[in-house]
Amino acid sequence: MLDRRTTYWALYLPPLFWLGVFFLAPLALMAAFSLRADMSANLLQDWTPTLKQYADLFEAGTYWRLLAISVLMALIVAVIATLLAYPVAYFLAFRVGVRASFYLILLLVPFWTSYLLRVMAWKIMLGSNGVINSFLIYTGLTDEPLPALLYNRTAVVITLIYVWIPFAALPILAALQRIDPALFEAAADLGAAPARRFWRVTFPLSLPGVLAAFFLVFIPTVGEYVTPLLVGGSQGSMYGNIIQDFFSKAANWPLGSALSMIMLVVTMALVLVAMRFVDLRRLIE
Amino acid sequence: MRYARRTSARSFCLILVLALLATACGGTVTTAPPTEVRPEELTGSLTVLDWAGYDAPEFWTDFQQMYPKVDVNFEFGASDADIYAKMAAGDQADVFHPYTGWLQFYVDEGLVEEIDTSKLTNWDKVPEDFKKIGQIDAKQYFIPWDWGFSSVLYRTDQIPEGVDSWAALMDSKYEGHISMWDDGPGAVTVSSYIHGWDETQITDEQLAQIKDEWIAQRDLNLFYWAGQPELDESMASGDVWLGYAWQGSYATLLGQGVPVAYADPKEGRNSWVGVYGIRKDSPNYDLALKFLDAKLAEATGNNVVNIYYYGHANQDVMNGITDETLKQTFSIDDPDILGKTNFTPNLTAEQRDAWTKMWAEVKAAP
Repeated sequence: MLDRRTTYWALYLPPLFWLGVFFLAPLALMAAFSLRADMSANLLQDWTPTLKQYADLFEAGTYWRLLAISVLMALIVAVIATLLAYPVAYFLAFRVGVRASFYLILLLVPFWTSYLLRVMAWKIMLGSNGVINSFLIYTGLTDEPLPALLYNRTAVVITLIYVWIPFAALPILAALQRIDPALFEAAADLGAAPARRFWRVTFPLSLPGVLAAFFLVFIPTVGEYVTPLLVGGSQGSMYGNIIQDFFSKAANWPLGSALSMIMLVVTMALVLVAMRFVDLRRLIE
Repeated sequence: MRYARRTSARSFCLILVLALLATACGGTVTTAPPTEVRPEELTGSLTVLDWAGYDAPEFWTDFQQMYPKVDVNFEFGASDADIYAKMAAGDQADVFHPYTGWLQFYVDEGLVEEIDTSKLTNWDKVPEDFKKIGQIDAKQYFIPWDWGFSSVLYRTDQIPEGVDSWAALMDSKYEGHISMWDDGPGAVTVSSYIHGWDETQITDEQLAQIKDEWIAQRDLNLFYWAGQPELDESMASGDVWLGYAWQGSYATLLGQGVPVAYADPKEGRNSWVGVYGIRKDSPNYDLALKFLDAKLAEATGNNVVNIYYYGHANQDVMNGITDETLKQTFSIDDPDILGKTNFTPNLTAEQRDAWTKMWAEVKAAP
């Protein structure tokens, strides 16, 4: 029989190893790269750390504005996706009964196709010869295709909300399922109408899931770059696109790393500030 | 083919780690056997860092037939920058495939070995002008392989008046129907043609002006294309009327019957050349030379022309083209075309950094 210690390490070592090698080490490398002056010489040799990249970014200035826009877009996406995901999760938790697993699979079906394909589908929906425009022209509502549907920030926000709704529904669903049904009965016994029961019992108890959903969407969306690349057009770039450009198109890992570090710090700061306002521990208790 | 410029999504962290792991683990070291072994008996292994798609057997068919027992492995780069970054990080590939503009720093950083052209049987079929493109500091560091034009491609039904200048990319008449290539150095090239500036001597003031012009152009531009299929699709659908394009797009759209023409701008077309280099200190130098020699052979060359519609460095291949669409694509019937063409000069590391920063600031501008 395995003793407790062995079991403990057998369970914890693989994920620790994985996180260490594929998460912490790259993060440390990125921080180190951001202190390089340029890409010359062997990347693994010693170099003198410098804040040149950060100084360049402060001087350029324009990236700050883009970061603010990206944060704002992520905020809009996270709020709307969470709002729209809540009824989905509620439906799955309380309304579908025995067919819950069937509906859950329906919710997860989009994940079986490539992310790229789903975003490309939005190009087909929003394009000037796309589904929406064809319908508008067919019904005679417009003569000319509406050009404003695709290739702008609105298209990016719409597509991202769509992409995130199923993800956002899952933590909310988990939170709703954790609620003890006896509480609903107690509320009903004490004379609470359905709406009151929802706002006084269900919703407060599901808040940890709602917050989890919000951050699950918000944090990755700040650094998003695939969706703006595909549906954002010339004016729809997000901060993540600039980072990607410095790695993939400019062979300028130091500057890309500095941009990434700034994003990391800003995102973490925003999350910490948010945590101060909403005391998660109190919510869970 | 440069299809592979399409973004490799969400893999950049991985690339960083993998590049480092590759360095840490070291490549498999195989020594080339003595030369007296008959080609079909020659064994060994060779690693090629190439663009996705170029691993297809059609693009090294001659080598495969001559040396069937040699094990050829492919690694992929998503862009010139990606390939350079990998090599700089210590990638152990024996052979790599950059494009004009991105050659100088391999020499500056000591990443590339000089080519012993005396061992290449197909070398005399390569025109002098192409050979020069692979020379830096009067040494042959690279062998030219594939090439093509860049120019303005436009829909003749939407722009019946035609396009005679690169400046059409900045013409407000075409607002919302223009697509520029997503590339800083490419943007500087276009601007310097329009202004008649020497691309190799761009000053800070000129670069600032170029930035402002492309920021203004952004309002007219529908999207920046990163991979060739993006441009092809949107021109075929009619969303884009004109764009910066490689001639692969021209050939593809002609083949689909889309009414397009490839401009002969008064400033001249641009041309790019893909080259192969051998990594400095590669233990498989002789095998790599054999690989590159076979890359220049005719059957491989014909496949490049017929499958991807790009030119090949072997002049016999180009002279043998009979297909009308291809002839038109390469302007083979125009004897002056290369004289009117500007070949992409090599960037210095400073230009690369300054020009890519300029482009990022264009995209990030309010």
